[in-house]
Amino acid sequence: MTTARRRAARETLVAWAFLLPALLAFAYFKFLPMLKGIQFSFYKVNFGGENTWVGWNNFRTVLGDPAFRLAIWHTVVNGIAVAVISAAIALVVALALQGGTRSVHFVRSAIFLPAVTSVAIVAEIFKLLYYPSAQGPLNMLLGYVGIAPQPFFSSPDTALASLIGMQVWKAVPYDTAIFIAGLATINRDLYDAANVDGASPWQRFMNVTLPGLAPTLTIILTLAIIRGFRVFTEVYTTTGGGPGGATDVVMTRIYKLGFETFDYGLASAASTLMFIVTAVLTSLYLLRTWKKT
Amino acid sequence: MKRSQLPSARAAALLSLALAGTAFAQTAPLKVWTRSNGPAQDTYLAIGKAYQAKTGQAVEFTFAFSDFEQRLARAIASGDLPDVVVNDTAQLGNLLGLGVLAQVDRNKVAGNKDIVDRAWKSAQGLDGKYYGVPSSTQVFELFIRKDWRTKLRLPLPRTWEDVTRMAQAFTTKDPDGNGKNDTYGFIIPGSTTRGYASWFVSSFIWQAGGDFVQPAANGTFKATLDTPQVATALKYVRSFICNKTAQPNAINAVTADATPGFYTGQAGMYFTGPYNIGLFDKELGKDKYDVVAFPKGPANADALAEGENSYIMKASKQPQNALAFAAFLASPEGQKIGMTFNQDGQVIRLPINRKVDAAAVRGGDARWKTVQALYNKSGHAVPNVPNWAPIRALTGDGFNRILARCDSNVEQELSALNTQLKAELTTQKVLAK
Repeated sequence: MTTARRRAARETLVAWAFLLPALLAFAYFKFLPMLKGIQFSFYKVNFGGENTWVGWNNFRTVLGDPAFRLAIWHTVVNGIAVAVISAAIALVVALALQGGTRSVHFVRSAIFLPAVTSVAIVAEIFKLLYYPSAQGPLNMLLGYVGIAPQPFFSSPDTALASLIGMQVWKAVPYDTAIFIAGLATINRDLYDAANVDGASPWQRFMNVTLPGLAPTLTIILTLAIIRGFRVFTEVYTTTGGGPGGATDVVMTRIYKLGFETFDYGLASAASTLMFIVTAVLTSLYLLRTWKKT
Repeated sequence: MKRSQLPSARAAALLSLALAGTAFAQTAPLKVWTRSNGPAQDTYLAIGKAYQAKTGQAVEFTFAFSDFEQRLARAIASGDLPDVVVNDTAQLGNLLGLGVLAQVDRNKVAGNKDIVDRAWKSAQGLDGKYYGVPSSTQVFELFIRKDWRTKLRLPLPRTWEDVTRMAQAFTTKDPDGNGKNDTYGFIIPGSTTRGYASWFVSSFIWQAGGDFVQPAANGTFKATLDTPQVATALKYVRSFICNKTAQPNAINAVTADATPGFYTGQAGMYFTGPYNIGLFDKELGKDKYDVVAFPKGPANADALAEGENSYIMKASKQPQNALAFAAFLASPEGQKIGMTFNQDGQVIRLPINRKVDAAAVRGGDARWKTVQALYNKSGHAVPNVPNWAPIRALTGDGFNRILARCDSNVEQELSALNTQLKAELTTQKVLAK
């Protein structure tokens, strides 16, 4: 072995040694429970006695349950809507806030606050804002422009949209921050060139800014959709999946199976399905970025 | 009691062992879990102290409230259960199904003859064996803002329709006199979470003459949600939401959202358990509200009766001591501390011990006489199926769906729900042929 190769090997070894404590912790607290969960998926779980092997039954029950299928649909709609709407708004906000004047710095910090506020607090605030009578703050505002009080979380017709609205409010600042970073990486020369060619602001945006932001946009959308599939606290603390199942998502169903009816087998099967979906999505994303580099 | 008190507890235990030569060989503190909030936690700590004074053994409590089930589930999964879990009677089937409960020999519980039979029944599995020691019972009653009622010159309601009219009046006639249209009639916790919708609607189903299931031959059950009586009950409850006489967020409300609505003046009627008496006395004042039976429905005045049991965990290394603690909680001494130590943290509501009187212990409080009489006459427990929890979750979702849409066909929805209920009874292997 050459010295260089030996050094490289030693460096790899050192790197792994540094990683080892974290890996051990992850293995014990994350990977082992995950494997246990996958194992539970195939059993009727009885903690005080013997577990009963039920094969694929739990998976069949989960996928055959209309409430669960509806929850999957809500999860997809919610995930995509939140991702797309917040990215669109964030892009506009980022364009307005790029640059480096002092006032912009202040606004940038201020609007980031929702992103670091705990979901439970955001939920309580929105329950108040959305108060479904004429006395509710949002309904009062709507009243000024002649719109009748809206039920928001209280009606099956508006609950999911209201929930999406709440999540968009929280997600926009995060997306904005990434967009601002993305905008800073676009080569200024391209703008100058476009100006010389007499491009209008819209043409500059379409032909310089947007293509330049493509990688950022991919990151934002993919991460948001993956995050969207795991939505739970936002729903549990506001509607609990109601009214009439209108905001039931996969995670609220899993919670009910696991912690209200204590059916660990079914809950594990549902979680395993969820794991497979997010794993596939994440792998596709990683594959894409890996291919590019 | 904290761990820091352990040495003295040990010393006391050893001392009592030496003096009396009694059986408390295990001196590790007894681990007890309860589902209680702040003030109730203080009461349990006082009970633990009294128990320690008596037996020499310290009690180490773990308290949780909104995430109690979640923590319990985690403990069950990791095999790290306490010695005793004080929890709802309706959880019996659930815990039994998980195989974590130890069987209790009723005759070996100290003072077992003083515990009323009806309470023992709620600690009994379908196999007739006992899996817990009763600690407390309660029944739903109607709380009405007396000051609002007097201002609008309304008598106490005597029929379902009277309640509807009173809710209407509380909503439209400005009972708090603030000149704003901001009051409501009836508080409903209608959320699907923890099956609240099912829990709340159950009394109305019985009052209308219906039920979730009917017992059939050989311990089996018929699903009976598709009856006109059940439809009547749901239409009645839904009318408050659709007439907008229920509080605006009723459909998503859990009790933690709903309860403050009564004492903050959002709405004037609340159908709930007597555990709120202490809270309402403190926040609202004794003279500001009535405690009465919910007026008779089409069939009767039945109201949801619930309770709590001390469940002994199978994995406990000191089952004798666990049982001794359960017996202490059920004894006149334990019951009295639980009822009186803390005004707004009464962990014992109606005593399960016949030597204790609910009203007398509380200084002759007439409201507790009402509650006790109501329990004796109209208390109605949930059906004795193997496991009630999945049925409560299922009907909680289903009832919430019905309450959420004023134009939905109640009969059709109930028929669909009944099919789901049959499937659940099949899973529990008790569906009548």
